[in-house]
Amino acid sequence: MSNKDLSRRSVLKSVALGAVALSGGTALNMAVPGTAQALVRKLPTQWDETWDVIVIGSGFAGLAAAAEAAGGGAKTTLLEKMPTYGGNSIINGGVFAAWDDKWHYREKLNLGADSPAQHWQDILKGGDYYSIPELAKEVADGAADALNWVVEDGGAELRPTVTRAGGHTAYRTHAAKSGVGREYTEALRKIAAKAGIKPTLNSEVTWIWRADADPKSAVLGVEIKRGKKVLNLRANKAVILASGGFSQNVEMRSAHNPRLTAEYNCTNHKGATGEIHKFAQAVGADTLQMNFIQLYPYAEPETGLLDAQAVYPFNGPGYGILYVTKQGKRFVNELERRDVVAYAQINLGKDAKPTWSIFNEAMILPMGGDPEEVAEGLKRGRFIKAESITELAGKCNIPTDALVDTVNKYIQYHKDGKDPEFNKPITPAMITLEKGPFYAIPQWPAVHFCMGGLRINASGQVIDVFGSPIPKLFAAGEVTGGIHGSNRLGSNAIPTCIVFGRIAGRNALKA
Amino acid sequence: MLKPHFLAIAAACLLLGAPLAGPARAAPPGDACTACHPDLSKTLPQKHKAVRGNGMASCTPCHATGQSGEAETNGFSTRLHLTHVPPAVKGDCAACHRIVPGKSFGLIGQPFSWGAPKPADLKLLKEEFASWANSDFTDHLHAKASVDCAGCHGKGLPTSDSTVENDRCLACHGPIEKLAGKTRNVEFPKRNPHSSHLGDDIACTTCHHAHAASVVYCADCHRLWKMSIPGAAK
Ligand SMILES: Cc1cc2nc3c(=O)[nH]c(=O)nc-3n(C[C@H](O)[C@H](O)[C@H](O)COP(=O)(O)OP(=O)(O)OC[C@H]3O[C@@H](n4cnc5c(N)ncnc54)[C@H](O)[C@@H]3O)c2cc1C
Repeated sequence: MSNKDLSRRSVLKSVALGAVALSGGTALNMAVPGTAQALVRKLPTQWDETWDVIVIGSGFAGLAAAAEAAGGGAKTTLLEKMPTYGGNSIINGGVFAAWDDKWHYREKLNLGADSPAQHWQDILKGGDYYSIPELAKEVADGAADALNWVVEDGGAELRPTVTRAGGHTAYRTHAAKSGVGREYTEALRKIAAKAGIKPTLNSEVTWIWRADADPKSAVLGVEIKRGKKVLNLRANKAVILASGGFSQNVEMRSAHNPRLTAEYNCTNHKGATGEIHKFAQAVGADTLQMNFIQLYPYAEPETGLLDAQAVYPFNGPGYGILYVTKQGKRFVNELERRDVVAYAQINLGKDAKPTWSIFNEAMILPMGGDPEEVAEGLKRGRFIKAESITELAGKCNIPTDALVDTVNKYIQYHKDGKDPEFNKPITPAMITLEKGPFYAIPQWPAVHFCMGGLRINASGQVIDVFGSPIPKLFAAGEVTGGIHGSNRLGSNAIPTCIVFGRIAGRNALKA
Repeated sequence: MLKPHFLAIAAACLLLGAPLAGPARAAPPGDACTACHPDLSKTLPQKHKAVRGNGMASCTPCHATGQSGEAETNGFSTRLHLTHVPPAVKGDCAACHRIVPGKSFGLIGQPFSWGAPKPADLKLLKEEFASWANSDFTDHLHAKASVDCAGCHGKGLPTSDSTVENDRCLACHGPIEKLAGKTRNVEFPKRNPHSSHLGDDIACTTCHHAHAASVVYCADCHRLWKMSIPGAAK
């Protein structure tokens, strides 16, 4: 915030005070620095616990922040409201975008070049240039380092490939060996444990304490509910918000994006409810782009679950996967971004549920698949397998002629290196759908990720509605907004959370 | 490490078919037993040796009260409580317990104290005891297996924010691999609540609640799975 803004605000303040003096009424509490307390809540008179740093949320961002803060010597607590740790991070699909300087799967598989600058440009373009460029740059620049950290210090393991995921212009998406985000939450948990951090579960933050909205007024601590007890925790250095998104809060998401009613399934864990956004707003924090909410185009159609199998349609496009309607027709360029693929399905109408992804055996390993996962998916009826496209159509209840025709054309497009229907860029790594066995998996969009959230700067500080950093208040991960613009490219959330978690944790030490 | 209390067998017979003098009521402190059971010999098991006196102080010399806080069954305590708290009778804690609210909580005739519950804590203890004695929840399943408060909560009286850590549950039910074996899904081995993608060190209390309905946490997301849990809401 510039000095000019500051002084303008001071003027506003004195006007408000003057008004109080003249009329004898009360001004909005938050506009009367020093004389009133945020909203109608009285500040606690004593603190039940005192910490240097309080971190809220035990996903990627919170674990990374707590590890850095505690590792730097701050007395740190990591609060988690749920009875289990890890939030969306532990159930995530484990795909991690990073240009890479160490593992060299891209080079080994001859998949072209990549760089942080190219990753940065992809984030900006993929989000229609709504991203705050300097925030996106932190992610692109820090992604490889974040990946190396969880692998080298945390013992996470990767599958020996990289994929090119929708909206990315390079093969840079790494897959966790276990196929889930737990690979990295466990790694981070180990790193945090070395610094003496263990998430404190069943501890729900119910308020953020700040005396008023004066730009110099620091956040003091938080109120929490632990079992039946209500406690107040003081933070001497910083409160770090790493509470994730609000996809599970139907009221909140549809208030910002009215289409996203309860009719849509959701891929998130139950605790992704966004109350921390509101508490932060109540003490002056600014938000941005709250209406940009991503649908995952390939969730399990009935429940919205994003299981290991539901990651295949996302990982497949770079290797030639095909998407069809239940009439057996293509409906989108498979290499498109998530928003495009999701709305291409929704625009087909409700009766179009589900659509299908179709791939063959040869694609499985390159696209980061795992034979055991495939076997399990077949057993559960998630994947359908057939020796021929005709047989597959029959098993999936797709009109045979239509599907055979679509596949034949699709094969030809790959041979020609040109897709006249949907303009999919054809790359040499793509495998033609000629040889069986063939697989199909049903898919439908479900509410997935919040691009919008709290406004932060590149140091992870939360910015107030007037543009000043709120002293001692930091945020990282999905609770923040403005990094991915209107659409996050898949596999960019993990680097975002780890990079900004670390930034917030380190800067909290200096706060 | 299920260590039956050494007197559990004798205690199990205690008070079975005990004839009551008149309708069930709270016994006044001091003459605790004989107020309702005028002839104690009829209440006690046949082979029980004669008892002098008529209160808790007559029992504890032999039926030593647990002070260790070990995870173990306690037949004497369980029997007495099951037959003297609602719904059996409208029991009065002070019939057997020496209570100075906010200061101490022990047994009549015994010098020790298990804690210093305030009136609100005492009220909660009564409520939880009533649930333990007669509910559809895990607490009552433990009552039926002669496990009283200390069996899970250890030394001292539990308070409103007490919780039970995994090692306590696993002392009797463990190791976790054994539980995972019990809930193994032969068809879908990954579908095992005791060995899930949330990790082996997930808190037992995530699903298993003692004084409230237990819930299958998995079903929050895996809505189509049919899983049951002991102590669920009826
Ligand atoms: C099913 C699924 C699969 C995904 N797959 C991928 C993928 O493969 N690659 C990728 O890059 N991204 C993926 N994403 C997105 C990514 O996983 C999330 O954006 C990321 O995990 C968010 O991390 P976080 O640390 O910000 O929040 P979370 O991991 O959600 O953690 C936030 C924590 O804060 C807690 N919390 C919230 N409010 C409070 C409160 N009031 N008091 C205390 N605690 C609170 C929550 O309970 C939660 O545990 C996926 C998301 C989902 C849902």
